[in-house]
Amino acid sequence: MSLSLETISHKKVISPASFIVPVRLSRSGFRYDDARVVVVIPTYAPAQVTKRLVSDILKWNPKAAVCVVDDSTPREHVRSAKIFKEFSGMRRVTLLRTPSNALKAGALNHALRHLEDSAERPDVIITADDDVVIAPTTIRNLVVELMSHEELGAACSQCAVYNKDANLLTRLQGLEYVGFNAIRLADEGFLRGPLVMHGMLTAFRAGALYEVGGFTEGHLIEDYEITTRLKERGWSVKSVQNAAAWTVVPESLYKFWRQRTRWSYGGVTVVVRARQFSTVFQDALGHIVFLSTIGMVLLLLLSRGTGVAPHAITNAIIALSFLQLGVWYVFQLWLMRSYKQKDLIDWLLRALLVPEFIYGFTMTFALLGSYAFFLFNMTVRAAVRSQRAFLIWLATVGTAFFNACGYTEGKWGTLAVVAKK
Amino acid sequence: MFNFNGGAVGLGTSISPLGMYAGYLLMHSGNFWLAVCFLALSCVYFAISAAILCRYVINYSRTRHLR
Repeated sequence: MSLSLETISHKKVISPASFIVPVRLSRSGFRYDDARVVVVIPTYAPAQVTKRLVSDILKWNPKAAVCVVDDSTPREHVRSAKIFKEFSGMRRVTLLRTPSNALKAGALNHALRHLEDSAERPDVIITADDDVVIAPTTIRNLVVELMSHEELGAACSQCAVYNKDANLLTRLQGLEYVGFNAIRLADEGFLRGPLVMHGMLTAFRAGALYEVGGFTEGHLIEDYEITTRLKERGWSVKSVQNAAAWTVVPESLYKFWRQRTRWSYGGVTVVVRARQFSTVFQDALGHIVFLSTIGMVLLLLLSRGTGVAPHAITNAIIALSFLQLGVWYVFQLWLMRSYKQKDLIDWLLRALLVPEFIYGFTMTFALLGSYAFFLFNMTVRAAVRSQRAFLIWLATVGTAFFNACGYTEGKWGTLAVVAKK
Repeated sequence: MFNFNGGAVGLGTSISPLGMYAGYLLMHSGNFWLAVCFLALSCVYFAISAAILCRYVINYSRTRHLR
């Protein structure tokens, strides 16, 4: 994919003051009808929800085009073949097929190459998962917000859970997603914006997307990775408050754990490989604080102590922790205002606090596992280089153990989803 | 405050209980310098959380017209 060599005029100095008072992006007017918009939907074995997504986009956005990328769904998959046939008969829909299963990033790049070669290159490229549900104004609001700020390289939708009433786990995810939206809003105007322009539904300025060379194939969380590269090139990103979208979340603990280990380990790899610290600052800070706290607690457990810690200090630590928890709790309750799909059960879950604590600790275990898996992978590489039979055997056993725990480096993505469908 | 066990994808329910537990441990075993370090860490963590909250409130008021 070719890279543009145009001068980056949108690059601005990052202000330390934005840690507290976020930078306000300059705004200019933009008419939605002026933009050439293409929505790219990579899919493997599409379901009815994909049909609904394509129909809704076409119905509510009379000038937008849709590019469906079939990521090598087997031809004998009858239900999918029927859906693809319907797509191919629709006006403003282009149906592409990858030569071999390329996973999400590969399928997106396949579409980018096609669009680059097309006569009318789009101004805005929107990437969407195939199980997303949108509102009538979602695409319009995303595009207008993106193109109204010349510094913006990408703008993502709000995320909500479509199947939140399925069970307790989906309800907890629904509550968590409210927090995701809140943290994205908090990060707006700070170090070029939120950490992740999520893969669920994000609008990219086409020039910015081609400038960074498209998506990195084979990455566990390509959405986080491309956000860091956009920021490295000087682009800002943001979430759009009036662009609602819903997605289907895992309903079983097994699938949920697989998803979170992927996010967690993928996030660690992005932070470690980041070329500019500022692009992963919030995440890195989280890791540093978390590891420092764990490290200190371990030190306390291991050290015998001299018995001279003043009570004033210990009381201050406990008081600060309670204050932290109290502020967090009040804020979580306040956030319920923005949760439009909430019902009494959601209120109860949030007010009780305990279910979200247990849920949060599950995430913590996923994170601790990611640290362990990361260290293990570094050790494995050293073992392979040393060519010692025992170390290689140990690495094989360790890999099997981590795989059984849900951690793996290359089997996530579309191929893993096949089993689900 | 709400994304400090892995940044992007976690809930912030891990650090506060750890702080309480650390305070409890310090009360019983006592180690002056570890106590000072932990207090400093707690202060930094609280300051970061407060900053996030400030940014949220400011951005919320800036984008109120969109809701």
